[in-house]
Amino acid sequence: MKFIKSIIPLVLAILVTIGWDNSWGTIPPFGKLLSPYHGFWINAEMAGSEEMSEEELNIPGLLKPVKVVYDEMAIPHIFAENDHDLFLAQGYITAKDRLWQMEFQTHFAGGRISEIVGEKGLASDQFQRRMGSVYGAEQSFEGMKQDPQAKVALEAYSDGINAYIASLSERELPLEYKLLNYKPEPWTPIKSALFLKNMSFVLASGTDDLKMTNILRQYGREVAEDLFPNYPFEESPIIPTGSPIDFKPVPIPAAPKDFIGLGSAMQTPEKDPNIGSNNWAVSGNKTVSGMPILANDPHLTLSLPSIWYQVQLVAPGVNVYGSTMPGTPNVIAGFNKNIAWGVTNVGSDVLDWYQVKFKDASKLEYWHDGQWKKTKLRIETFKIKGKKDFVDTVFFTHHGPVVYLSHEKTFKPNIPVGHALRWIAHEKSQELTTFYRLNRAKNYTDYTEALRYFSAPAQNFVFASNEGDIALWVNGKFPLKSRLQGKYLMDGTDPAADWKGFIPQSHNPHVKNPARQFVSSANQFSTDPSYPYYLGWQYAPSERGRRINERLTAMQKVTIDSLRGLQNDNFNIRARKLLPLLMRSVKSNHQALGVLKGWNLQNSPESVGATIFETWVLNLQSALWDDEFAADEKVPMNRPAIDRTIHLIEYEANARWWDNVKTKGKNETMEQIISSSFQATVDTLVKHHGALGPEWAWYKHKQTGVRHLIPGMDALSRLKIPIGGGGSIVNAATTKTGPSWRFIVELSKTGNPKAYGIYPGGQSGNPGSVHYDDLIDTWAKGELRPLLFLENPNQSSSRIRKTITLSK
Amino acid sequence: MQSNTLRIIILIIVGAIVGFYLPWYAMGIQAGVLAYLLKFPVKSSFTVGFISGILLWGGSAWWLNYSNPSALPVRMATLLPLQGSVPLLYLVTGLIGGIFLGFWTWAGARLR
Repeated sequence: MKFIKSIIPLVLAILVTIGWDNSWGTIPPFGKLLSPYHGFWINAEMAGSEEMSEEELNIPGLLKPVKVVYDEMAIPHIFAENDHDLFLAQGYITAKDRLWQMEFQTHFAGGRISEIVGEKGLASDQFQRRMGSVYGAEQSFEGMKQDPQAKVALEAYSDGINAYIASLSERELPLEYKLLNYKPEPWTPIKSALFLKNMSFVLASGTDDLKMTNILRQYGREVAEDLFPNYPFEESPIIPTGSPIDFKPVPIPAAPKDFIGLGSAMQTPEKDPNIGSNNWAVSGNKTVSGMPILANDPHLTLSLPSIWYQVQLVAPGVNVYGSTMPGTPNVIAGFNKNIAWGVTNVGSDVLDWYQVKFKDASKLEYWHDGQWKKTKLRIETFKIKGKKDFVDTVFFTHHGPVVYLSHEKTFKPNIPVGHALRWIAHEKSQELTTFYRLNRAKNYTDYTEALRYFSAPAQNFVFASNEGDIALWVNGKFPLKSRLQGKYLMDGTDPAADWKGFIPQSHNPHVKNPARQFVSSANQFSTDPSYPYYLGWQYAPSERGRRINERLTAMQKVTIDSLRGLQNDNFNIRARKLLPLLMRSVKSNHQALGVLKGWNLQNSPESVGATIFETWVLNLQSALWDDEFAADEKVPMNRPAIDRTIHLIEYEANARWWDNVKTKGKNETMEQIISSSFQATVDTLVKHHGALGPEWAWYKHKQTGVRHLIPGMDALSRLKIPIGGGGSIVNAATTKTGPSWRFIVELSKTGNPKAYGIYPGGQSGNPGSVHYDDLIDTWAKGELRPLLFLENPNQSSSRIRKTITLSK
Repeated sequence: MQSNTLRIIILIIVGAIVGFYLPWYAMGIQAGVLAYLLKFPVKSSFTVGFISGILLWGGSAWWLNYSNPSALPVRMATLLPLQGSVPLLYLVTGLIGGIFLGFWTWAGARLR
């Protein structure tokens, strides 16, 4: 008894220790986390002093010493004596700033989040793997390794990351590891492939086929084709109309028989329509300097740490500056002495679904081309924190994985059950080779050579050189399809519905030195309908593209600063067309209508008119279409695009769609729908922001934020950023997405390009560093920072803050 | 003759050294071991450990942020959630350290 009494305090002490050494659900391990000797307190980094500092680090695996010079934005300029050391140092230096992000993003891509957060991550993980993310990464890793230079890059980059991981003690781990209570695992080269595959997930996994089939089943082909036309009424395609075609097209495969299919009854959110981008290059004939200027701003989900990491990479044969994606070697979008290049996404249809007919419940055979064929099985094992492993079998037809079986609940509503997925992201590919070669390209020939290796996600690669060339290739691997093939779900038993090879890469849409003296892209249609191949029926709305082309056509004496102005253009081209049409029909005496009448059509941060207009458009779309196209959440459908709505308002005032079918015995007119949606707009805004006034300012309503990668981590995010723009605006800042890396480069004959850039974040992934979010305010103001492009590591510059020598 | 003040000073100094080199839980175990070896009186043992823990953890946290200021404590004080109050964060850090060392000191003293 006495003994038991005397050990009670010890038992309590041990329980407290175990309790605070572990995380419980979302509760972090308090002891470890708060200890001033182990926890978050030591992740604080003091703001760098203005004094120059020097440091030496030993990195195993280096062949020769590498010098790394940091500028005042904490951007590393890496000088190596060979490719191997360059990529090893890139891996090491990137991990030093972004290790947690690199691992977290690849865990997400590989369907391994449940290893960190437990069972609640399983549905997302299973979706990732059923879609074939790991399968696709394995395929493309095979392709990448076939290029010896890419292989060196991948392996050295991986060694560099591992050298950094090995150098970390537990107390030096990045903050997020401490919060979520886990440790980094060794990096492997296939993780770089996984990261690149994830870009296909982000940019080329949108799919409306199920929704379109549901519309087909409900309203028939005529309505489906009328409301969802295959080319917009207003468009300004990337390749200017009338551009010559310099190839002889290969024959187009015959179309499969019409197929209606079963559709599906499940729920969903769809692809984010706001993920898009702008890029352009202006010929020297239009610029003050006489040299081409290139500008790019890829729009992605805005996050902290940022998806981008700036770096300069220098070794024999290469001196390149630009943004990299932590997790992959090379620069993704940037410039060197001779050329500059940038990217925007191509919204072509590279993902199709095939309804599968299995022989029996074993699913070991499926019907195709008049015979039973064998499915292939792939076993996926999920490690779940705190639980037993979960083992999942994925069935593959020759098309690809059956993502969900007929009885399963889907993770997203736009994914059909009982269908096999054919997706470009499953192809063997060599994207790294493209970036390796672009980093070293000297002219147009090198650029086109580099593009040959790129599969997915297809990008509009804009280009400018100091030889005076400007160009744009709509580039990637595109399936060779019959017209509209894959707009709807397809019949998996019909061989005519299969993809029939790919469009020859040299036939991809492209333009070089056009008469209009500029090239541009903003995710709109790649070409006009005269292009001989079918790429897709639906692209991003054309507004940004039309505005950019309108401005670039008008602009003369172009400078870096005038293009910076265009990147920040807030003009609402949609309102220019739509607002007068609405005003013609609306009946209201609310003063908000007066504000709209006086609105200058600019989505500037303080604009109240922008808030009213944008909210009205949403309410109008909903009032007009939701009664027919969102009536049953189990049968998800597309809503006609805004371009189609505008056409309806302009020319089809008596269309059946104006009537709200949910109100029996009443027949609403266009005027009534427009007026009631205006009233609904005013009611919503009053409810959220009070009476009409400065609280209705566009930026307060829109609430652009740069959020930490862990959902809900507001304390590590920057919210309510005062920035204008919007999804259909050139300055494409929305609530969660926006220009994720803006840069402008003016080339120079003598190899001294002038470059400016900014991204909404900071170089460091550590919330305890001043460089965590130090670029956001500059970005929000629409300003750019001059980019330091060094010739050699010993060059003097007042902007250099720190030098690190890495040696064996 | 030990006074409680002396005991507290010993726990803080040894705790800091242990903290620098060993995992976090060693900071508690050292308090238990010292209380056992140095025969801390059971009655005041929890209080002695508690005060040492508050001073060691809260004080170290304050010193770290004072000598190396950053936005991190504010962010963490928002996350935890303590309305972004860094003084409250010192207090919570100190309390965690206090309870932790308190239990271990009591355990060590009681075992004898």
